[in-house]
Amino acid sequence: MLTGRYFAILIMATLGSLRASTPPAPDFNLRPLTEPQMQGAVFLDALSVPSPGEIFSALNKVCRPNWATLVTPATAPVTTERSQLALVVGVLAANGYVAVEAQDGQQVKNVGREMMIVAKSLGVSQSLLGRGNSLMEFADNNDWEALSDELEATENEVKNTMVDQKDHDLVTLTSAAAWIRGLEIATRIVLSSDSLLGKEELRQPELARRLAAQLNAIPDRMRRGLLVPAVRQTLESTASLLDDPETNPEALRKRFSKIHDDCSAVVKLILNTPAPTATPSLSPFASPSSSTKPGTMTNPSKP
Amino acid sequence: MSHKRLILQAFLMLVSLMVAYGTLIAQNAIPSETKVMEPIPTESRRLSLETAGAFVNDGFRIRDGEWSGKLSGGAPLILQVTLFAGENYWFVAASQANRIPLRITVYDATGKPVKGLTWHDPFQEKGERSGSRSAAGIVPNQSGKYYVGIEFVENSATQNGPIDFSMVYCYK
Repeated sequence: MLTGRYFAILIMATLGSLRASTPPAPDFNLRPLTEPQMQGAVFLDALSVPSPGEIFSALNKVCRPNWATLVTPATAPVTTERSQLALVVGVLAANGYVAVEAQDGQQVKNVGREMMIVAKSLGVSQSLLGRGNSLMEFADNNDWEALSDELEATENEVKNTMVDQKDHDLVTLTSAAAWIRGLEIATRIVLSSDSLLGKEELRQPELARRLAAQLNAIPDRMRRGLLVPAVRQTLESTASLLDDPETNPEALRKRFSKIHDDCSAVVKLILNTPAPTATPSLSPFASPSSSTKPGTMTNPSKP
Repeated sequence: MSHKRLILQAFLMLVSLMVAYGTLIAQNAIPSETKVMEPIPTESRRLSLETAGAFVNDGFRIRDGEWSGKLSGGAPLILQVTLFAGENYWFVAASQANRIPLRITVYDATGKPVKGLTWHDPFQEKGERSGSRSAAGIVPNQSGKYYVGIEFVENSATQNGPIDFSMVYCYK
């Protein structure tokens, strides 16, 4: 009798304490974010930085680029400089997306092979062997969607291995290079149309600024030489050019040409095998002419 | 006799307080933060990828990356993303915790909420499926920086402590 009563007290006391710990439901109305919330937002390399595939997908919506004319064979430079190798991974990944859009299986295989060579130089190839084989297999089977997914997964796996090896700063370099190479291709597409189709899709000054700021924060030893400062400078100038709400078509065209030329020059610099003096001779801003070729868009009409 | 009763009463009250305290500790504990390695993939990630898989059938592509962490009631977490005008996006979040009303909100660069589509798992609300899933879809009308907020509302049916969540996004 007594035991039953005390058992009831025990249950009630337990339930009472649990109920007291449950706060009332908060207001569910949608409110704007506060400045501290926006400042403190998480920035994740794998999600906050769009993949080149995303840029190209957006461009496919507004125009129909002739991707086959945009495929550029690239060979990884012979270098032991880790910062350059990290940048090369980004450029190669973007090249891979172009090859996928062009449905050029051989080119995807070449990109995969080059990525494996670079990964080996970076010491991150062990976990990538399976990825490399998958790229080859999907290319053989013309499985373009799987190839696109696999390219992003391969790039992320390289980045994850960099993080595991305490080389987190290299990840920023890879992302920056992929973005720059993607922008080089994308601006070429935009410039090939008389009405600059796709210009609105490329208005991402915040991202360029953010990547430039991240490059500013990497250790000095990685910023030696011309390469990393050139990448950062390109991102900063791109951010400024994209930020200005210019509406004059001619001025806009000049602006996109400048972005394209800067990106093109810095990509060449990344893929350049450094001279034995370790001082690259090619300035990223010395390119006098635009490599833009008219007619890279076959059917510039909205779908 | 009354002395024995008093001792028994005091003992039972002590036990009840210990049980209640233990329950609270268990709810607020964050055991996985002290773990050296998370299981790969986590159950929350598996659920978010499983849910996003439905969008893949509709031509969407899932980004390879994942945003994961611990979510507390009433305290939204915010992720910065870069979106393209005219693209279709679905942000898919899931938690291994059962029947948690997850809410995903997309905000523009100024922090204003952007109108879009929302999806909640009907099976989860009926308690017919384990875990919790939710999704928000938008088609931005301008390219640029956006924010994705994720939160859950505590009520008598949900737990109080932090819950694991995983978010992925897909685009087409």
